[in-house]
Amino acid sequence: MIGAAFGPEKKATETRQVPVRWRLSAHAGRLLTLTVAALALALLTRRPELAGVAAPAALLLSTLPARRPTRVTVQVRPLDSGSVEGVASVLQVDLGGQGDYEAELQIEPGDAIMPGPPVVIPAPAPAPAEVVLPFTAQRWGRRQIGMLAITLRDDYGLAEGGIRLGLPWIDCQPVPGRLNRTILLSRLPSRLGEHPARATGEGAEFAGVREFVPGDRQRRINWPATTRRGTIHLSTFADERTQAVVVVADATADVGEPGSSSLDLVLRGATGVMSRYLTKRDRVGLVMYASRLSWVAPGQGGRHFRRLLDVLMSSPGGLDKAGGLIRLPRAALPPGALIVVFSPLLDSSLVEAVRDVRERGFSVVIVDVLNSEPGDDSTKVSELTRRIWRLEQQAIRFAMVQLGVPVVHWDGRSSLDDPLGAYTRRVMVVGR
Amino acid sequence: MIASPNQAGSRPVTVPRAWRTILSVAVLAAVTVAWAALPLSGGAAGTSVTLVVAVGCAAASVAQLLAGSGGKQTEAALGSLVRRTVDYVLTVVRGLPWAEVMVVAVLLLEVLHRPRPWHTGLLGVALLGYLLAVHHAEMRPSARALRAQLPLIATGIGLSAIIVGIAELRAVPGGALSPAIRVIAAIAAVIAVGLVIPWWLRRHR
Repeated sequence: MIGAAFGPEKKATETRQVPVRWRLSAHAGRLLTLTVAALALALLTRRPELAGVAAPAALLLSTLPARRPTRVTVQVRPLDSGSVEGVASVLQVDLGGQGDYEAELQIEPGDAIMPGPPVVIPAPAPAPAEVVLPFTAQRWGRRQIGMLAITLRDDYGLAEGGIRLGLPWIDCQPVPGRLNRTILLSRLPSRLGEHPARATGEGAEFAGVREFVPGDRQRRINWPATTRRGTIHLSTFADERTQAVVVVADATADVGEPGSSSLDLVLRGATGVMSRYLTKRDRVGLVMYASRLSWVAPGQGGRHFRRLLDVLMSSPGGLDKAGGLIRLPRAALPPGALIVVFSPLLDSSLVEAVRDVRERGFSVVIVDVLNSEPGDDSTKVSELTRRIWRLEQQAIRFAMVQLGVPVVHWDGRSSLDDPLGAYTRRVMVVGR
Repeated sequence: MIASPNQAGSRPVTVPRAWRTILSVAVLAAVTVAWAALPLSGGAAGTSVTLVVAVGCAAASVAQLLAGSGGKQTEAALGSLVRRTVDYVLTVVRGLPWAEVMVVAVLLLEVLHRPRPWHTGLLGVALLGYLLAVHHAEMRPSARALRAQLPLIATGIGLSAIIVGIAELRAVPGGALSPAIRVIAAIAAVIAVGLVIPWWLRRHR
């Protein structure tokens, strides 16, 4: 599986000269308080022993270093090529010019980023010192890692130099839903691929034996059958074809608990299906059904997967209807494609679009990701509303099944093989 | 050299060690406040109020260290109303300089009693120990850094002892031995400062 890349902020990967802001540490502040208070009380009360109390603290303060670095060089670069939600990633930070000062590096996290523990570079450090900072993006999407806070300290902990700089943005891809088996259509388009088709062709899987006709290649002669029957017979092989799969991701609604909301499940399921079919060398396309309709025509390969992920995560979600579209674009749907729809089925225009696609002869499977219900305030009206809502949802799903569109429910926790098992165990017959 | 969280050497601090350090801060704070307050009946007006302030600040400074070490875990475990209250309390506890206020309160407590130089000298040592313990609990400096400060701290305590001795001598009635003791004290002070100056110059070179 290929991860999405870090953002293109070049500044974050360049070596930068960053100014250091120095101040007294909390420890020095406390020692100063003791010194000043003891000396002031000694003067006011004419008690010399109080000046003695101030002596050790004053001596410690006198070691405050006079020469401090005013600038340090920092270079930040991601070590991983991408990031997946919930999976730890690392940043490499090269720090130079800190001299004899200890440096503590810590990520001040951005939204939905879990930083790792701070890292300390003890003094004296080589120049530049290389540090690996771990972090974990907890939710998919394009987000800034946060700020890098570097604190320089002298060996007595009296002076502190602060440095803060922005960290790069990351495109964190959803964790793909697990899927081991794939749905295979009975009728495949005539493109070279890896699925044995019913039609005979140039594949490797044995299909049968037939009599020789002029023009056949002699290397296909089946000699045992020829000697047994007395006429020349040939071995025939199944054609190997590819399958076109279009994933429709419905981002018009985001309901449920954050982290397992319907949009989370849509993106995770879509990523899992796209990744699995691309691994099987099928052609995979994407239709992002959101407030703005966007799509990628079917294609193959790692670069295509990256393009699909870009579209999947960059489309704005929300409750806006997708322009009231009830026809999915023809360019995104090659003839004979399998269409896998991930949706909570809350948007009526998407339901109409699926109906239209089915009526155009496509094989469609809907993965229902709705895993929450409207809130209940324990009143009769509320209970009645919920019942009506449930009936409406059941009616939508029943109508889809009557059209020949199977609707399966996925809770986001189990493997996608569980709900899709009935369709992955055998070839899915294409029919109008 | 690449340092990772696991390779950071001396810094990954185990929980028992952090708790031991905070415990030592609590003990030193209690000892300091108690030492400054003794005897309870011998203080001038305002001793009780100052004592209450000192005890409160000592407790708050220990709480500050505790909040810094484990506050975030409690936030996640509590309900929203309780969490907001705990958040507010933690913000207040974390934000105020309790240790500084405690130091001033303890010195005031000492001033409210009659002059007792040797008692004040020991109080100074206890206060310094308390501040170093707070620093240790916050920053967890390496043992090497602490060892390097020992000569300086010893010199400071020596100077403090000389000053306390001078203060004690002020109360002694003049006799044959008194001028000799004063000369010895002056020589000791000069030697102590003379020992520190080369070290100080080396650090600032």
